[in-house]
Amino acid sequence: MREAHVIGAGQTAFGSFPDESYRSLFATAVDRAVASADGFDPGDIDEAVVGTLGVGGRQIGLSGPAVTEHAGVSVPTTRVENACAASGYAVRNAVQAVRSGMADVVLAGGYEVMTDLSGDAAKYWLGVSGETEWERLTGTTFAGTYAQMASAYVDEYDATVDDLSRAAVKNHANGAQNPHAHLSFECSLEDASGAGVVADPLTLYHCCPTSDGAAAVLVASEDVATEYDSARIAGVGAASDRVGLFERDTYTSIPASGDAADAAYEMAGFGPGDVDIAEVHDCFAIAELLAYEDLGFCDRGEAPALLRAGVTERDGRLPVNVSGGLKSKGHPIGATGAGQIVELWKHLTGNAGDRQVEGVDVGLAHNVGGSGGAAVVTILEGDQ
Amino acid sequence: MSDGDAAVVGVGAYAPRFRLPASAVRDALGAFHARGVESVAVPDADEDSVTMAAEAGERALAAAGEQAADVDALFLASTTLPYEEETATARVARLLGLPETVRTAQFGGSTAAGGGALDAALDADGVALVVATDAPEGAPDDAFGQAAGAGAGALVVAPAEGRERAATVVERASYTATYPGTRFRERGSEEITGLGVTSYDRQAYRETVVGAVETLDGAAGVDAAALQAPNGDLPFRAARSLNVDADAVGAGTVAADVGDAGAASAFLGLAAAFDAAGHDVLLVPYGSGGTAHAFRLRADHHVPVRQTVAGDRELDFASAERRRGAFDSGVPEGGGAYVSVPSFRRTLPQRHRLVAGRCLSCGSFAFPPEGACPDCGAREGYEDVALSGTGTVEAVTTISQGGAPPEFVPQQARAGEYASAVVAFEAPDGGTVSAPVQVVLADDDAPEIGDSVVAVPRVLYDQEGVRRYGLKVQAAASRRS
Repeated sequence: MREAHVIGAGQTAFGSFPDESYRSLFATAVDRAVASADGFDPGDIDEAVVGTLGVGGRQIGLSGPAVTEHAGVSVPTTRVENACAASGYAVRNAVQAVRSGMADVVLAGGYEVMTDLSGDAAKYWLGVSGETEWERLTGTTFAGTYAQMASAYVDEYDATVDDLSRAAVKNHANGAQNPHAHLSFECSLEDASGAGVVADPLTLYHCCPTSDGAAAVLVASEDVATEYDSARIAGVGAASDRVGLFERDTYTSIPASGDAADAAYEMAGFGPGDVDIAEVHDCFAIAELLAYEDLGFCDRGEAPALLRAGVTERDGRLPVNVSGGLKSKGHPIGATGAGQIVELWKHLTGNAGDRQVEGVDVGLAHNVGGSGGAAVVTILEGDQ
Repeated sequence: MSDGDAAVVGVGAYAPRFRLPASAVRDALGAFHARGVESVAVPDADEDSVTMAAEAGERALAAAGEQAADVDALFLASTTLPYEEETATARVARLLGLPETVRTAQFGGSTAAGGGALDAALDADGVALVVATDAPEGAPDDAFGQAAGAGAGALVVAPAEGRERAATVVERASYTATYPGTRFRERGSEEITGLGVTSYDRQAYRETVVGAVETLDGAAGVDAAALQAPNGDLPFRAARSLNVDADAVGAGTVAADVGDAGAASAFLGLAAAFDAAGHDVLLVPYGSGGTAHAFRLRADHHVPVRQTVAGDRELDFASAERRRGAFDSGVPEGGGAYVSVPSFRRTLPQRHRLVAGRCLSCGSFAFPPEGACPDCGAREGYEDVALSGTGTVEAVTTISQGGAPPEFVPQQARAGEYASAVVAFEAPDGGTVSAPVQVVLADDDAPEIGDSVVAVPRVLYDQEGVRRYGLKVQAAASRRS
């Protein structure tokens, strides 16, 4: 089977952009992805797959063509919906299209506009990917569900609120260097642990923001890839699980993440020890800790120790979320998964500029939908 | 059934745990006008006349040793059911797990409604459940509003034959005198009001109540008199005309503690009287307008009572007004996730009775019992298994103020933070089933992982004008005895 490669990738800044629309944001991301592939002709795109949740209900139906036509990419377009994992799955669909031979170049991306909602409307839209019929009707929210996981984790393992904060502090330090980050400021451990409680034990600094933004990735066959700065998609794995936390056997891991990672590692022929850099889905601080364990970066209950030892900091052995992660870079739901690939592609191809992490060959992206009803893990290897 | 055959075989009573003391109202407003009332019961933000009816009904059935499935009739009395049209009996019946074939009727119109309901039960065949429930409202600065309390009383009426612990209704009578304007609520209004002519109001009460009692063979010899108590003063005044001593009235009156419990008033008094081992008790529900029903009940043995009435949380005036909804701006506008009423209705066995399923293929439990088995993946179907209402917290969080999803914004506006948990409920033959539930905090801290919790019926939320009820839990440790 032929391989798929990322030959270009770009994104808008993540943040709040009252003068932009979801279409204009997506067009900017496409322009940047195309520009990043020096000499690439967008007319060579065969197909597009875009992820969005559709927060605000601005274009529920035909939301795919609505953005690709606006961007001047008039190709068959499919919209993928898997909540916060939408564009991680869009990238996976692009890989499938290229590997199958049905397409040579696929545009995969995502977008979301979230910051133009009234406070009332936001209350409705932020809960739409939780388990609606049961979980939501207990009055819980996403923060609430992840807080329940945090409560179970802290109860089961040697972990504290400060351990959660360490993930946030690290990611803010990284995001402060990223011109595309939504919350590009640093914070201290005291800031994070002492902030107002959103859903006990999670404080405001343990929760990612809602953001506007778009990201786009060009996925191409190997014969096309030779002409560009490219990274091979060595493995991609995905998994589903019960949407409601209460329906799962464990509250201290996200089984879909583990299953997706296993599939991705197997396809790539790599293990966790081969990963040099990772972007993981830290929508809430506890999620980053669970990700370390679900992805095999450490044993169960060892994530706090990994954070305390600085292993996942920018200059550590395995930098995680050098972009700032969802916490600092931001979380425009449909754009997040593709945005992770943008970040990895830059570092693996030497296109990360001042933020370049040197000496990294293998990168892993981990994108979760909801509280773990869907997960997708993508492993990239630099071609140069 | 003749009166000699029908007996009260179990009594249940419930009042909210919150109390607003008269002193707090006096501090806030400078005066307190409800005579003989020392505190009033204030419902939690997610309690109403339906949930209190379920609480009292469940206790009455337990006291009587009756199964919900064996109840033949439900007679529900209240002046404050959530809908002016649409029967509340169906909601109460489902929350209690009564059979679909249950005969039901709803009584209202005045606080005497419970008398009509008991009359109907005494005339019915089989096992009847009578529930009187109320949470009257009035202006915060007048005697009606300041007296307004809340509570529910329930009686199981069944053939006396074969039961030792039963109170036989030896006599009953009604009396109607016409006294307009003493207490009324105009159509569409939430607040009771009245002309406030003190001597006229007292005369209306006295003539009607005394008239009903004198139509019996009088009240001589009763050891308790559960008279309608619009406040803590009128029953004692009327007692002088009835030749009943103040101690007997005191034994059948809870208004000093819970305030004016409307249609539930005399039933709460009856529960207190039987709980204190009363054997010869007068029950007189009275309603403005005016009408009264008088019942004389006699028991040879202690009548079984289960009641949770005493308060254990004191509110200041602002907190009480907040819980009553003074600062509730309603459900936010918006779209997005939504559970339709038909979808919600489909799940009532789970919402109201915690009905889980045992997989027909592998035998493991599922909640809700639908779709592929979470354990073995089979779609063979499930055998219904009603979980007990007790369980253990497996994961929990407290949703901070302002963080509630839209459905729960009004509740948070009224009652503040609540917790949300995954609870492992106990299955009847061992094992547990996990289900998500909201935790009623009542100003306490959230329970911790491993703590025991107990299910309670509550309002979940209102949407599109339709109230949704379901089970929540409260920490076993903070439960009232």
